[in-house]
Amino acid sequence: MARAEYEEFAETLDALDDEDMRFEYILDLAKAQDREDFPEEWKTEANLMHGCMSRVWIVHDKDGQTHHFKGQSEAAIVKGLVHMMTRTFSGLTADEIAGFSVDDVKRLNLGALTFQRQVGMMAMLKHIQKLAGRAPAANEA
Amino acid sequence: MADTLKNSTAYDVDAVRRDFPILSEKVYGKPLVFLDSGASAQKPRQVIDAMSACMQRQYSNVHRGAHYMSAATTDEHEKARETVQKFLNAEHSEEIIFTANVTMSINLVAHAYGRAFLKAGDEVIISEMEHHANIVPWQMLAEATGVVLKIAPIEDDGSFLLEKFAALLTERTKLVAITHCSNVLGTRVPAKELIRLAHDAGAKVLIDGAQGIVHGPVDVRDLDVDFYGFTAHKLYGPSGLGILYGKLDLLESMPPFLGGGEMIDKVSFAGTTFAKPPFRFEAGTPAIVETIGLMAAIDYVTDIGHDAIKAHEQSLLDYATERLSAVDGVRLIGTAPDKAAIVSFLVDGHHPLDIATILDRQGVACRVGHHCAEPLMDRLGVIGTVRASFAMYNTLAEVDVLAEAIEKAKRMLS
Repeated sequence: MARAEYEEFAETLDALDDEDMRFEYILDLAKAQDREDFPEEWKTEANLMHGCMSRVWIVHDKDGQTHHFKGQSEAAIVKGLVHMMTRTFSGLTADEIAGFSVDDVKRLNLGALTFQRQVGMMAMLKHIQKLAGRAPAANEA
Repeated sequence: MADTLKNSTAYDVDAVRRDFPILSEKVYGKPLVFLDSGASAQKPRQVIDAMSACMQRQYSNVHRGAHYMSAATTDEHEKARETVQKFLNAEHSEEIIFTANVTMSINLVAHAYGRAFLKAGDEVIISEMEHHANIVPWQMLAEATGVVLKIAPIEDDGSFLLEKFAALLTERTKLVAITHCSNVLGTRVPAKELIRLAHDAGAKVLIDGAQGIVHGPVDVRDLDVDFYGFTAHKLYGPSGLGILYGKLDLLESMPPFLGGGEMIDKVSFAGTTFAKPPFRFEAGTPAIVETIGLMAAIDYVTDIGHDAIKAHEQSLLDYATERLSAVDGVRLIGTAPDKAAIVSFLVDGHHPLDIATILDRQGVACRVGHHCAEPLMDRLGVIGTVRASFAMYNTLAEVDVLAEAIEKAKRMLS
């Protein structure tokens, strides 16, 4: 289910060949993320994802075998990426989350958007896999 | 607007640009507008060629070979030291120590001078606008020895407050370590006056010249500075090479920082005696190719004229200040009357990372973040800034590209 949402993000980004439009799509996702509930008290040191150039908070919850993520960032473009990642991985099991690879991130072709964003997305993937209890494979660490 | 100002420069900027191969590169299909020279400057062909020639035609380890290549390479390496000596107007070539970067130059002083001559209760003064490289070594010294760190304040516009600095000087002040020019704000510190005041109080002075020496000539004897650190890669030379100038009597009094080869006089298991400066502080094989690259970079800067570069950069700074101030919502961070061509800014309502990301897509390379100066960010009450730092090869037209790119970022983010 969540994988289908990921497909939609990837296909939309792929279909937009104008770079400005790709940026605008991510900024739209940022606005969607702003509409999601993320109380100020969640913006704690413990929820901070370290190593980002803007502050990113990821809140993780588990319902039986499935994991759920919510996120927020100070920077709009990063917030759009947080939206993609939290939507993609919410509702998946730890094994399904671990099944995502750096290649899946590369498929989004964010490197064409800016190289920094692709690196940031890979860091976010690893962070979410760690929260789900599945450390990334050694060759991807 | 920029066209009418084109001839206000002190030299032929287009000719200079042709010497820097990377400036004709494109990023994302757009011409590169490189405004991140404060982090590291691009290199002219003269530097690239000198380093390439060294590796292709005349290379060996230095100071040790009984063969032609070693002797010839040693001559060039030591000629580089003399080039730095003349560039700084230092009295002796032995006062020029090759390090890895400014960070290491400062650590060398903190370690070799600080631990030998400073004791618990002695005071070291730094300022609110120091790079982490000129904060952390002193914190480590304080932790190890009980030395007390004092912080000289700045004005809200980024100006250095000389009177408040003077008020911090006491008979306990043993060392002052201050930047020559803020890497975030561009503020130039009145170094000569500051050094005189510190000397009157009996303190030695280290100036962090990482940015300062790039944006104007430095005369260590006129400054009467005790230690001056800078790095090759911001001065159009290679990375991996720093410089520490130190007055010879001070260097001679200091114990070594790192131990190993090159820095010894005689080694036995009964004990080791150390070489005289500068070699006492140059353990291991030095950055040989890099010193030759730095020599070419200094020759290049000297040929263009350091004063001419300063004048050109002043015109870039004036135009950038005027142009960016006119963009609605842009707030300049650092507007001291005397500053180098470093322009930090924020755009109201937008995170600096978003602005810098959209600038990047337009080919405009700026730095974003805290610029290794987190205490300064706290002092100014900002999370970070976007920083456009200019160099000898930037043009007034590139200032226009920057301003237009900011306008576009605002439109996209609104």
